[in-house]
Amino acid sequence: MIQLTDISKSYGKNVVLKSIDLTVNKGEVVVILGPSGSGKTTLLRCVNYLEKPNGGEIAIGDYRVQCKRATKKEIHELRQRSAMVFQQYNLFKHKTAIENVMEGLVVVKKMPKAEARLKSIALLEKVGLADKLDAYPSQLSGGQQQRVGIARALALEPEVILFDEPTSALDPELVGEVLAVIRKIAKEGITMIVVTHEMGFARDVANHVVFMDEGVIVEQGPPSELFHNPREERTKQFLKRITPELNYSI
Amino acid sequence: MGAPFDYSYVFSFLPKLLSTLGVTMLIVAGSLLVGIVAGFLVALPRLYRIPVLNAFSMVYISFFRGTPILIQLFLFYYGLPEILKLVHIDLSRAPVMVFVILTYGLHTGAFMSEMIRASVTAVDRGQVEAAYAMGMKGHQAFLRIVLPQALAIAVPVFSNMVIALLKDTSLAFTLGLMEMTGKAQTLGNITQHFIEAYLALAFIYLVISFTLEKLLLRAERRLMRHEVPESAARKRFRVQEKLSYRRIIAGIRPEKGGAEL
Ligand SMILES: Nc1ncnc2c1ncn2[C@@H]1O[C@H](COP(=O)(O)OP(=O)(O)OP(=O)(O)O)[C@@H](O)[C@H]1O
Ligand SMILES: [Mg+2]
Repeated sequence: MIQLTDISKSYGKNVVLKSIDLTVNKGEVVVILGPSGSGKTTLLRCVNYLEKPNGGEIAIGDYRVQCKRATKKEIHELRQRSAMVFQQYNLFKHKTAIENVMEGLVVVKKMPKAEARLKSIALLEKVGLADKLDAYPSQLSGGQQQRVGIARALALEPEVILFDEPTSALDPELVGEVLAVIRKIAKEGITMIVVTHEMGFARDVANHVVFMDEGVIVEQGPPSELFHNPREERTKQFLKRITPELNYSI
Repeated sequence: MGAPFDYSYVFSFLPKLLSTLGVTMLIVAGSLLVGIVAGFLVALPRLYRIPVLNAFSMVYISFFRGTPILIQLFLFYYGLPEILKLVHIDLSRAPVMVFVILTYGLHTGAFMSEMIRASVTAVDRGQVEAAYAMGMKGHQAFLRIVLPQALAIAVPVFSNMVIALLKDTSLAFTLGLMEMTGKAQTLGNITQHFIEAYLALAFIYLVISFTLEKLLLRAERRLMRHEVPESAARKRFRVQEKLSYRRIIAGIRPEKGGAEL
């Protein structure tokens, strides 16, 4: 279970997150929606401390960190309990697909190389890249790179995987293959927090949808409710604006 | 000036000049060593924005980049012993080679530090974040992710720097050091066949530069094997695209590995 309590973050005078509370149960897929600049990315990046929250508490599983006085060691522990899939993939460009997946296993988990290799092969097979083990990122399409990114995240067996708009840097024809992989692993009961603009995906896969605006969670609930019966005016406005997308999404 | 041109002298001078190749190469190797260490020390405060040291680095870089190497040689050779005399250190017996390597080393270090800084900044920040996000520590992310890629980016600049250094060492003769250029001058004086001596000299510099360049190109190819093969021109363009890199490289003289932008 992931529990964020009273998380706040500002850049100088610009308050980006205002006392966010969010609970994600084990095995749940939580989708975060919201207009640009509402703080979705910042919230995800606070969970693994790529951004330092100004205050609040982060708990992943039974590991709890008070943001204000988190030590280096605590941050390091916290990061090992989550994994992230980035919008720009952020693969290690000087390493092949399999080396990208092995890296965390060997360096962070101290797994013997041979074992890490076998595990990485299995994961790359799972994301449909069995034939690309030795390809460098520069030799892969965006969709393939993002699938390596997902395999890399899965390898660490984190308690939660954080996805920040995993398909929005992709050409439209490549979005489907990546979403298919995310759907597949969602079915396996891996806990995920996904920031996305893919409404179709959100409706089908999410167990819980969170709508954010201006640094606060405006409304949250199961997709059936949030999409068909939004209570808040701001949610209605937002959904109305992006409804046309609904028809096109997969 | 001198005796009439006779090309046979060119050939007879070659082995005589090559007998001092070791001295030239010692200056190059020694200066590179000093330069790499100095370069790292000077680059770190700039990379990590360490307040006071950062200012010191900038002064250092401006001095060595902004003044002619010949003046630097004179300042170190004549000036340093005077300054050290004040603290009772006697350098009057120190070999010229020490001053030469120190000056060329610190000079190269200034360019080297800019190269190091540019290459490290050119590695995309997102990869470092990915490394942190998976639980790597700072030094692991630097050694495993940043450094290998920074090296690959640095090699072409490094290669130009080594060649520039090789050519710059020809000024060491002004302090009376008998390296290749000094030898050529002496041979010219004795035989009065100056042109032949300088032709032979130019030929040797050319061959060494060419060899060094080829060797370093191979190193670059190895380090860059993760990139899809592309034309050299495109590769240079891509590297220069990085804004930070571009700004810094533009400040380095073209012959030292900078680019005209
Ligand atoms: N490093 C930073 N320094 C200063 N301000 C920042 C920084 N990162 C984000 N912000 C500000 O924080 C706010 C929230 O940004 P964030 O990236 O979290 O939004 P988002 O919901 O992910 O938007 P998008 O849908 O466009 O990705 C924005 O107003 C942004 O300008
Ligand atoms: Mg965002």
